[in-house]
Amino acid sequence: MNKKKKIGGLRRLFEISIVIIIGCICAITRSAAAAAAKDDQFLLLLGVSPQDEDYYKGLLSSPSSTIKCKDGSFKFSTSQLNDDFCDCPDASDEPGTSACPNGKFYCKNAGHIPFSLYSSRVNDGICDCCDGSDEYDGKVKCPNTCWEAGKVARERLKMKIATYQQGVTVRNRLVEQAKLAIAKEEAELSKLKNEEKILKGLVEQLQERKEQIEKAEEKERLQKEKEDKERKETEEANLKEKQNGEQVESSEADALKNDIHDKIGEQVESSEADALKNEMHDKIGLLGDSSSSQDVMEGHGDSESEAQHGEFDVKEESPIGDVKPLQEDSLLHATEKEEQLTVDGQPGLDTGNQAEVEEDNSESLSKEELGRLVASRWTGEKTEPQTQEVSSAKDKNHGTEEEDAYGEEYSGYDSEEDEHRYDNNDDGDNEDQMDDFGGEDHDDSSPSYKSESDDEPDLPEPSWLEKIQKSVRRIFQAVTFFQTPVDKSEAARVRKEYDESSAKLSKLQSRISSLTHKLKHDFGREKEFYSFYGQCFENKQNKYVYKICPFKQASQVEGHSTTRLGSWEKFEDSYKVMQFLNGDKCWNGPDRSMKVKLRCGLNNEVTDVDEPSRCEYLALLSTPAVCVEEKLKELQDKLDMMNKEQPTSHDEL
Amino acid sequence: MKKSPNLIFHILFLLLLISPSVFSWKKDEFRNCNQTPFCKRARSRKPGSCNLIATEVSISDDGDLIAKLIPKTQENNESQDAPVEVDSKPLLLTVSVYQDGILRLKIDEEQSLNPPKKRFEVPDVILDEFLSKKLYLQRLSEEKIDNDLGFSSVVYLDGDYEGVLRHDPFEVFVRERGNGKRVLSINSNGLFDFEQLREKKEGDDWEERFRSHTDTRPYGPQSISFDVSFFGADIVSGIPEHATSLALKPTSGPGVDGFSEPYRLFNLDVFEYIDESPFGLYGSIPFMISHGKARGSSGFFWLNAAEMQIDVFGTGWNAGQDKIMMPVDEKRIDTLWMSEAGVVDAFFFVGPGPKDVIRQYTSVTGRPAMPQLFSTAYHQCRWNYRDEEDVFDVDSKFDEHDIPYDVLWLDIDHTDGRRYFTWDKVLFPNPEEMQNKLAAKGRHMVTIVDPHIKRDDNYYIHKEASDNGYYIKDASNRDFDGWCWSGSSSYTDMVNPHIRSWWADKFSYGNYVGSTPSLYVWNDMNEPSVFNGPELTMPRDALHFGGIEHRELHNVYGYYFHMATSNGLVKRGNGKDRPFVLSRAFFPGTQRYGAVWTGDNTAEWEHLRVSVPMLLTLGLTGISFSGADVGGFFGNPEPDLLVRWYQLGAYYPFFRAHAHQDTKRREPWLFGERNTELIREAIHTRYMFLPYFYTLFREANMTGTPVIRPLWMEFPAEEETFSNDEAFMVGNSLLVQGVYTQRAKHVSVYLPGEQSWYDLRSGAAYKGGKRHKFEALEDSVPAFQRAGTIIPRKDRFRRSSTQMGTDPYTLVIALNSSKEAEGELYIDDGKSFEFENGAYIHRHFKFSNGKLTSSNAAPSGAGGNRFSTDCTVERIILLGLSPAPKSALIEPANQKVGVQLGPLTIRHGNSPSFLTIRRPNVRIEDDWTIKIL
Repeated sequence: MNKKKKIGGLRRLFEISIVIIIGCICAITRSAAAAAAKDDQFLLLLGVSPQDEDYYKGLLSSPSSTIKCKDGSFKFSTSQLNDDFCDCPDASDEPGTSACPNGKFYCKNAGHIPFSLYSSRVNDGICDCCDGSDEYDGKVKCPNTCWEAGKVARERLKMKIATYQQGVTVRNRLVEQAKLAIAKEEAELSKLKNEEKILKGLVEQLQERKEQIEKAEEKERLQKEKEDKERKETEEANLKEKQNGEQVESSEADALKNDIHDKIGEQVESSEADALKNEMHDKIGLLGDSSSSQDVMEGHGDSESEAQHGEFDVKEESPIGDVKPLQEDSLLHATEKEEQLTVDGQPGLDTGNQAEVEEDNSESLSKEELGRLVASRWTGEKTEPQTQEVSSAKDKNHGTEEEDAYGEEYSGYDSEEDEHRYDNNDDGDNEDQMDDFGGEDHDDSSPSYKSESDDEPDLPEPSWLEKIQKSVRRIFQAVTFFQTPVDKSEAARVRKEYDESSAKLSKLQSRISSLTHKLKHDFGREKEFYSFYGQCFENKQNKYVYKICPFKQASQVEGHSTTRLGSWEKFEDSYKVMQFLNGDKCWNGPDRSMKVKLRCGLNNEVTDVDEPSRCEYLALLSTPAVCVEEKLKELQDKLDMMNKEQPTSHDEL
Repeated sequence: MKKSPNLIFHILFLLLLISPSVFSWKKDEFRNCNQTPFCKRARSRKPGSCNLIATEVSISDDGDLIAKLIPKTQENNESQDAPVEVDSKPLLLTVSVYQDGILRLKIDEEQSLNPPKKRFEVPDVILDEFLSKKLYLQRLSEEKIDNDLGFSSVVYLDGDYEGVLRHDPFEVFVRERGNGKRVLSINSNGLFDFEQLREKKEGDDWEERFRSHTDTRPYGPQSISFDVSFFGADIVSGIPEHATSLALKPTSGPGVDGFSEPYRLFNLDVFEYIDESPFGLYGSIPFMISHGKARGSSGFFWLNAAEMQIDVFGTGWNAGQDKIMMPVDEKRIDTLWMSEAGVVDAFFFVGPGPKDVIRQYTSVTGRPAMPQLFSTAYHQCRWNYRDEEDVFDVDSKFDEHDIPYDVLWLDIDHTDGRRYFTWDKVLFPNPEEMQNKLAAKGRHMVTIVDPHIKRDDNYYIHKEASDNGYYIKDASNRDFDGWCWSGSSSYTDMVNPHIRSWWADKFSYGNYVGSTPSLYVWNDMNEPSVFNGPELTMPRDALHFGGIEHRELHNVYGYYFHMATSNGLVKRGNGKDRPFVLSRAFFPGTQRYGAVWTGDNTAEWEHLRVSVPMLLTLGLTGISFSGADVGGFFGNPEPDLLVRWYQLGAYYPFFRAHAHQDTKRREPWLFGERNTELIREAIHTRYMFLPYFYTLFREANMTGTPVIRPLWMEFPAEEETFSNDEAFMVGNSLLVQGVYTQRAKHVSVYLPGEQSWYDLRSGAAYKGGKRHKFEALEDSVPAFQRAGTIIPRKDRFRRSSTQMGTDPYTLVIALNSSKEAEGELYIDDGKSFEFENGAYIHRHFKFSNGKLTSSNAAPSGAGGNRFSTDCTVERIILLGLSPAPKSALIEPANQKVGVQLGPLTIRHGNSPSFLTIRRPNVRIEDDWTIKIL
């Protein structure tokens, strides 16, 4: 009660001081202001923040009538404190007026959050402080809205605190789980490394054995050939008389011929493609400057191997029918484009950029096309009708290529995910992973990978290594070395065992490398982001789906085309932001990139995606991983303070 | 292997993406002089090939001197340049004389001889007020010049000048009365040529082809060309818009290379224009001003809206061919003016000072409009602030960083499918609320309204325009259909006053749904830009109201569009609110309707550099309210360039940052704390000087004298300044020098005149008439206050200029060697037209004999209305006063105030101290004196 009274008293004083200040500002005479100032200490402390109050009070009570600016640069008398004239370059003589441009005005905002305003807001006719204290010259009347505004703010704060409270719990669990999982994975890794060592030894032994057998077989073969030859020679004379058996043989030869024919067909096709490729290469050589053509060559090399790889896989499985039309389609487009280029002429002699090519064409364009073309210069957009076909081909192309390129990676994750799931079966987010990595986005290449991952589960069976070891031991026991002729079934067994073991070994190695790769990542101070690994978060905005896969990449999917917004770079801003860099290049712009700001929330959820600057994306991801305890405390303190500073006037209302 | 084609294609596409500098200025897309028959022909004519003589010279009933121009009967002129012109009929010549020494010369076909068509004369540019200042000639005197066979007719001009029509050879010039010294002349080199309209004959091929376009040219050749000589001139300047130096380089004559093209005046939307080029840009003003140490300045203006090409001849261009009798002892610059169509309607301005010439020119075409105060502050623009959220975000970030701004701009994508006057319903669902939210902080918004109207039957503007036949027609008389931002578009025919009035009505709050009183307008693309038209503009054979061909008025189209929009805003506010409309295209007279900017520049140092001569040139030709996009429209400026641009742009009359949609975001706070601070500082500088700028805008409004000026305008006798376009004067008191190189260490600044200059930062005095080398400081470009001047400032910063209204003033007095200084301050309500009725304050400050006096500079009885303010003076800073007084006495209040040492600008920590009169608190509108004790 005592306190309340005091506050009331101060309040009255404050009101008086406002009147005086207004008087002071309107008054022309300095003496009036000085007199007023002397009367009222409170006035002098207008706009002073609590931590500075002692400084000013101390100065005012000191016997000397001059005060030093806080930065010590200048002296001023008490009459110059808040006299609406800037004497101190650091604004310390004018905490309560707009006279110093770099000053700060403190509004108490009782019932809400106290706030320091730029001095430029003082008496500018706009109510900034909810208690209205920044507008005291009478130009406007600012009602005190602190309690009402504060109420809303407090509610919001309370909700935030509730979220944080739960979030902190979830986060702690995440941290625990992560620690366990990492420990487990590390253990697995070291175990695997051990096994790798053993298996490697076995495989080497088997290989040695296999080679021995092969050598023996070769020897046998040579021996046999020699014998055959001798036999042939002796039989040759007789052979001439027995020409009737030929017909049977020739039908065999036909079959062989057909086979060859098929192969040649393939070769022809591929050599055609090669020729086309070479042609393009030549063109590219002409078109590009050295650096870009180099890029292209590199890119080409990569993609070529990918393509081969892809084809190989496809052959193993069977959905060729699905893939083929698309390829033919794009082949068609490419040829068309090629024709277009050659027909229009001089594709390479200029600097070779599209604009130039278009430029050369512009004479023959329809008026509308020309208009679009010219407009596109400012926008950097593609000109639709003219290049529609081209761009659709490109999109498709882009899509397929991407799927090829990432399909592989995804499938790698697929297999990992499978394992991951074993570790974290309780983690509901795995459903997302299934969605993200399921067949939906890589239709042509995924089946083959799927099959691969189907093989996978035999890997973690506990006794497999022992089994292999056993069987190898058996082989070595059973097989007598340097036996001629080679025991066919033994040889087959060795080969089979070798093939199986080396396949196992390579799987083991890939698992090791993926685990090593995974564990190398920065999962946060307390590994709180461990569970992000292999996850993707999506957000749909109009026609785009944004997909954020931490530690991997971010992309924007529109229908069938995917644009890479960036590859995982790192956490920044003390784990409050995830950064993805070096995405697909923007027309006339930078490489795409994305920043993901992390907010405390109970679920992993992308709440907003924005493109504040062209091709620079910004997303908000709410996640319990950033609900840290310190922040919770901070919020609670803030709430306590807000509750404490209820204005007395509210009670009276 | 089947995938390879796919890949190849992909690679090819990537390659196209990677290619550097995908776009740049496409020279081939635009005609050069050789591809332009009238230009090629005129340029190939030899001096003295004009065979016309003046006959039947007399004074008309209208008080004009009239004469007929006929070919010399004696066919002794065998010049092959003048083929036998069977159609040649006499031309009618009219010389009229106006107050202030202005001579007007018109030459046209004789209407009584029934030419096939009345040639186009540009209406709506010359002020009625000017026409009313005509002096009716009573008589003319005749005299013989040199050894002429015939006579010359002489008329008196205002002041000590005479206009002379020399009969044979035909020549018109203005001379000083006493000494007979010529000032400027036409046809002194005998290059005059006038292609008269004629009936098309069998076999005539009048069509012109350029690239894929064909110009039907139904009226055939009709060009006009002539030479103009500026006597006593060291430099010529003007004829914007070109991205080139202030003093125009010769385009023809010995030793001219690179600049072999004439300066072109043809309003064009040029993608990524280059600096240092005579190539025509967005606007055209056929007005040239000369300046020389010996005599001063003169000006020549040809009112003609067709394509024009102007050559500036280098010394010795006509060596060996000088058949013409001209005074040889005088310095002179010869120029050649060529136009595709129209008539000769030329104005001679005698000066003699640079400011006199501009006053004379703007007495014909109009003085610059008085802008709203807010529009002289800082503008924030980008293509595009995407949605309301983006707008609020940018707005609040300015507050967060304590950076003031007054206007936020919305480019084309705020509309519903680029239908102007509409809003994208998703991105801007509540435009009024949005504007009101900004307006609550005293801020304004600007939306773009372009002339291309989307051909969409559901679009009300299109519907009304097409139903009423308001569109420009193509050569076959159908609505012209071109391609621009909105796709297939038509263009309203703003030449028709009825259509302009219809257009103006579209800006009423009722018609422009979602607009509020805090919303103003931006006219872009009004050259007009037509993406699929010849040279990206409208075909010359398109038809306007009254059967006028587009070729005849091309350069004035944008002006009419600007005018209609500006009038719309006046109408909207019931004539009580000054309009603000920014236009890209311009023509003589544009200054009456609003501001212009230099279009789509690029984020390069060279573009920062060239912005200064471009803006100075605009100022010299009447358009004082102009700016260049701060930061450069295309490309991404490095922080150093952006900061330097802000520091220089803060002194542009029109101060706006703008950026292309493909550029990185570049709001002031995005480049780290230090750069934010530097940019804030630059913007603060502009706000600090707003009272001074506003006073200068008023000066421009009264006299035409531009806000920013070439040094030679203030120091006309100093040759050193003639070619200086790196520095400029803001008014008569401030000199600003840009920094145009990356990480500059030093800047060399020429400080003209005999008096000293005070560094705005340090307050240190530097001697005038000297070149100084300064360290290039990071925190500002070099700027100086001239000794002998008083600059009014407002040193408190607010969110926008709106809140500064009642803030107190600071006066900075820079004393000259005789301890004197003078300055002015103009104040009004900042937005209405009440100032025209006398509702303004105009103070004159004078410091002499240790006493500062404030007196009224407004003419007595300037109108019944009064404007009043409670604003006071909080601080008076005295530079150059050596004794250190302790106090000052204010009269008539008879009150003492303290004098102490204080900083030159209060926000810099350790700036040196200067004598400061502390809180005199005198009212700015009162008469008072303050005596230093």
